[in-house]
Amino acid sequence: MNCYKSKFEACLKKVQKPARYIGNEFNSVHKDDFSNLVSFAFCFPDVYEVGMSHLGMKILYQMMNEREDTVCERVFAPWVDMEDELRKNGIPLLSLESHLPVADFDIVGFTLQYEMSYSNVLNMLDLAGIPLKSADRGEGTAFVCAGGPCAYNGEPLADIVDFFILGEGEEVNNEILDAYKVWKAQKGKRVEFLEQISRIQGVYVPAFYDVEYNQDSTIKSITPNREGVPAKIKKRIIKELDNTYILDKMIVPFMDIVHDRMTLEIFRGCIRGCRFCQAGYLYRPVREHSTQKLIDAAQKLIDSTGYEEMSLSSLSTSDFTCLHELIDELLKITVDKRINLSLPSLRVDNFSMELMEKVQTVKKSGLTFAPEAGTQRLRDVINKNVLEEDLLRTSRIAFEGGYNRIKLYFMIGLPTETEEDVKGIAELAQKVIDVFYSIPKEIRRGRSVTVTVSTSSFVPKPFTPFQWEPQNRIETLIEKQKLLKDNIKTKSISYNWHQSHVSFLEAVFAKGDRRLSDVLIAAQQKGCRFDGWDEHFEYEKWLEAFKDCGVDPEFYAYRKIDHAEILPWDHIDIGVKKEYLMKEHDRAYEEVTTPSCREKCMGCGAASFGGGVCFEQNQA
Amino acid sequence: MSKIRLKFSKMGMGKYISHLDLLRTFTRAIHRAGLPVRYSQGFNPHQLITFSLPLALGVTSETEFVDIDFEEGTSAVEVVEKLNGSLPPDIRILNASEPKCKANDIVSARYIIKMDLCGLVSKARLQEFFNLNEILAVKKTKRGEKEINLRDYITMYDLKELTENTAKFEVILLAGGENNLKPDILVAKLCEFLGSCATESYEIHRTEIFCKDGEKVKNFY
Ligand code: SF4
Repeated sequence: MNCYKSKFEACLKKVQKPARYIGNEFNSVHKDDFSNLVSFAFCFPDVYEVGMSHLGMKILYQMMNEREDTVCERVFAPWVDMEDELRKNGIPLLSLESHLPVADFDIVGFTLQYEMSYSNVLNMLDLAGIPLKSADRGEGTAFVCAGGPCAYNGEPLADIVDFFILGEGEEVNNEILDAYKVWKAQKGKRVEFLEQISRIQGVYVPAFYDVEYNQDSTIKSITPNREGVPAKIKKRIIKELDNTYILDKMIVPFMDIVHDRMTLEIFRGCIRGCRFCQAGYLYRPVREHSTQKLIDAAQKLIDSTGYEEMSLSSLSTSDFTCLHELIDELLKITVDKRINLSLPSLRVDNFSMELMEKVQTVKKSGLTFAPEAGTQRLRDVINKNVLEEDLLRTSRIAFEGGYNRIKLYFMIGLPTETEEDVKGIAELAQKVIDVFYSIPKEIRRGRSVTVTVSTSSFVPKPFTPFQWEPQNRIETLIEKQKLLKDNIKTKSISYNWHQSHVSFLEAVFAKGDRRLSDVLIAAQQKGCRFDGWDEHFEYEKWLEAFKDCGVDPEFYAYRKIDHAEILPWDHIDIGVKKEYLMKEHDRAYEEVTTPSCREKCMGCGAASFGGGVCFEQNQA
Repeated sequence: MSKIRLKFSKMGMGKYISHLDLLRTFTRAIHRAGLPVRYSQGFNPHQLITFSLPLALGVTSETEFVDIDFEEGTSAVEVVEKLNGSLPPDIRILNASEPKCKANDIVSARYIIKMDLCGLVSKARLQEFFNLNEILAVKKTKRGEKEINLRDYITMYDLKELTENTAKFEVILLAGGENNLKPDILVAKLCEFLGSCATESYEIHRTEIFCKDGEKVKNFY
């Protein structure tokens, strides 16, 4: 039945970590006969242990496979050693479950979690033998679609992807599968399917829109080029989380993966509105699961996975309205089974030691906080409402409770940043250290303390108030990193930073338009892949690709954009209005903070979805 | 007695589950099955699970053994049934018993090896290889690499089937404790010996484990 199987197996003997490619894990779904099913190849453009840690894929995989008329199989980017073997032996990219060629699936769907995975998307298509350009795919070729946060500005992939899925996939994926069945039964033309689904809210077919440019390379217009397609494409959300598919079953991998644990998604969206954070705007409005639903799902997850750890997932755990109640209930079903609870994304301001004591039953690992900026002024600019007093008070509680390691995350290159702000990072870290030594030896644990400072470089993202901002030049970022390093005076502070070249490309592709599709194709042909992995990132090749295509990357990353300009993603509607983002942008310069959705609704526009936090007050 | 010895098979793609991953797989399967496993004492308690003899990556087997400590009175029949319901399909529990032999007494293991060939190989040619006085190979040990003579590790060779494109034979190789030979090292050497007639495609399957019983050697169980 499968002509590649024995050749494929021979490759496995020669590669590192063959368990990446074997499938058959507990809870994976195997359907034998594909002939009457819609087949969906769910591709994660990174290696197995990264992709398998991703929650969205787990949800959609189980959900699609619950449909009797559909089969969904997983596909990951083969690691470079495996890719070499596949190419050498003429084996195309295969799915994980049945080891069938990806090109034989009806729909090949990618999840776009970060820009630096785009080269892997192209490389995987190439390995699969699917034409890279949408326009080159004839009748009978698989449809290529993409979703995930980067799909909201998927323009750099506009020539490659047949259709994008914007927003949460639970409902819209089902609608697309239904439409596919109808279209297949009618033996329709390729373009007819795309036309049909372009009428579904949340589906964006880039080929149905024409983009015109001005002399100065900015965009003149984005217009539909046929009847019946919407001028603006509105994202999808699940209005009532409790009424949708809730993950109660997860594949349990054999090998160690990045997040090897149960994930319980407690809510979607974020009430905060940090001005640099794309997720904070994309996923508005905040919608929570009820505690009862969560406990049911948790119990099922425990029974079906056997995992020894459960992690709560959301953008900001401490903002869940019934967090204490939820944790008490969860502890009742986890403690006896020796299951640890972990709570990532806790905020400093309402941090409670009691909460930490409750969940950290065994291990006292380090604590992580993200003040993001070194001075109060800059924190006000970015609307990160964390006060220095909060951080120091929390550190004191933590040290008194036996912790002696704290990690602090910051960004450099933020709008309006000065030397003082950069130095402020070192000063803040020093203050945390001082807190430790001010505590009597008998109370704190250990003789010394370690504070790890990590900085990433600010990348302006679409759909945020900073979308009009230029990124700092690479040289400037490196100078700032050096300034910070020179201002760290003690060995108790260790400093890590990110490669600025990667951040530059991230900015280019985050804010890019469809002229970048050719650059991606050129880069793939030059061998770019796994750009998110330092050891495989080849900056020179990227620069060559830009040059070959006559595209200036700095145009996308370093230009201060005027509010009046048409942005490449202006035809995408995430609910939050552009005018609101402008207002927030202005407030940033006025150093005025904006309250959270629970303190005061600022009328961002997301209420148009008719659910979530925007209506809580009314209900109460 | 609360220790139960399970005999299990590891087939199909399951051969690529590493030793460490296999331990994790059993741990979680036991959790899922809700079996009353016992934990070690100490700071970081773990389930009391011991495998008798690690299996090399890429090798299938119909005779693997694992000892698991359960609470007093756990029924062996129940353990087999529940674990088979909660293990991934490539791992099957075959039976359960009280441990008789000691893992330390394991001396050797039997393998069936099937190699794909792409040229004519005679019976004599194969025999020639197994008659060599010296088959030197590098073996990785905990302390680094050392050169060994494979000859000293092969206690039996028996050709089962030879066609134009496959050779199938049985070997018994030293196993356990100090003198353990991974069968893939032998296959690699044989491929080298056969030169262009060999391909990179082969299958290795473990069929038996032997241990010493005084002067005699018997099946491990
Ligand atoms: S409409 Fe108001 S409450 Fe709703 S997401 Fe926007 S700011 Fe928050």
